[in-house]
Amino acid sequence: MIRVQVPPILRAVTGGERVLEAEGATVREVFENIALRYPALGLHLFDERSGIRRNIICIHRDLVVRADDMADRSVAQGEELILANAFAGG
Amino acid sequence: MAVSLIVGTKKGAAILTSDKDRQTWSGDFALKGWPVTASARDDEGRYYAAVANDVFGPAIFVSDDLKAWKQLESAPRFNPGDKGNEQHIRIAGSADFMGRYKDGPRLVDQVWTLHAAHGAIYAGTSEAGLFATRDRGQSWEPVSGFNDHPNRANWEPGFGGLCAHTILSDKNNPNRMWVGVSSSGFFRTDDGGKTWNEKSKGVNTDTGICVHHVTHDPANPDVLFRQDHRGVYRSDDAGDTWLVTEHGLPGGELSDGHRCSFGFAIAMDRQSSSVFIAPLEGDNFRLPHNGQLAIYKSNDKGMNWQPRKTGLPSHCYSGVLRGAMAADQLNPGGIYFGTSSGTIYASTDVGESWREVANELPRIMSVEAYAT
Repeated sequence: MIRVQVPPILRAVTGGERVLEAEGATVREVFENIALRYPALGLHLFDERSGIRRNIICIHRDLVVRADDMADRSVAQGEELILANAFAGG
Repeated sequence: MAVSLIVGTKKGAAILTSDKDRQTWSGDFALKGWPVTASARDDEGRYYAAVANDVFGPAIFVSDDLKAWKQLESAPRFNPGDKGNEQHIRIAGSADFMGRYKDGPRLVDQVWTLHAAHGAIYAGTSEAGLFATRDRGQSWEPVSGFNDHPNRANWEPGFGGLCAHTILSDKNNPNRMWVGVSSSGFFRTDDGGKTWNEKSKGVNTDTGICVHHVTHDPANPDVLFRQDHRGVYRSDDAGDTWLVTEHGLPGGELSDGHRCSFGFAIAMDRQSSSVFIAPLEGDNFRLPHNGQLAIYKSNDKGMNWQPRKTGLPSHCYSGVLRGAMAADQLNPGGIYFGTSSGTIYASTDVGESWREVANELPRIMSVEAYAT
């Protein structure tokens, strides 16, 4: 099971849950499984072509993983992904 | 009757509610963290608010009481095979710091306007698209006649992207609607959305068909008032032809030297047929003229305009965005607008005088008024 930390603005669609658990061998597979359980969250993760939205990043093993790399990024049981919002400035 | 305002800001929605005399206002703040770009209310009293950010895309929230908001599991989306406008992708992809997203899909990145008409809620989006829900947001269908317009390949985005930001409807004719697209035209359908014809005859289109916003009375729909990049216009024939109607308006110099009345927001009080605009000092500055925030009002179908500045600041250096002015359609008419520096002004005497009802909000992107 992989733990996914959800940023505050998306918790309206997780019932307020800060951390979700999902199966998956890659970051993309984990997100796909989350989207199946939370369709409204899936709108925010995947675009019209089922691509991961281009500006999404997550933190895995203290490293930034960008959208283009999520299909190839392997995750191991018990690991955590931090889905990051991207605020900048004031 | 009381009024509620949904004020869409860069960081959430201010919900302002008045007493029955519209004199005392109380506020709440919802959808914290989301840019709130548009709102609407359907015939059964459900409120819809559109949100979007550069990372997590757009979504629609609904509320039946303006307190509890729930995100819908469906949202306006193009068909997966739709080809995108390359210039729009370049503009919308400004946050694409990797620069690797160049395969050209057509994606909804923002809902610019929501419009209730004939039992549906319509959404105008960027990349420019038109969508409708007829089941209170459970599903959204693309209006294919618009989204697959035969001239779409030639549509040009404005500097804010290729966006469908204005939707108007005919109260008595569900087959007729209008949609404004920056900067590609003002389109009208007369066959329920199957075909759309561009309507800008008489408008100065020297730098593209840059319609900024349009208003009318849906019960008298053929008389349209239009704020363009290059001036203010009226049509008496549903958009077939347009007349320049700028007498009394302050002119501003555009970047190419042309002078006209520049601005974005335009709204109409249907009881009095008065029209309101917020002129800015040309496209170079986009500030109130001489720092005096003023709303200009016309009581004669745009033939003459008079400034109304009582209660408005004389040292104001923020603008009014295209979606940030609204009328409550009560009698006497209430007019409301928000500034890009986060202040809401209200008038309950049909725009004759103004007073501040909220300030210190984030940048205000949209204002809608709902009699409650």
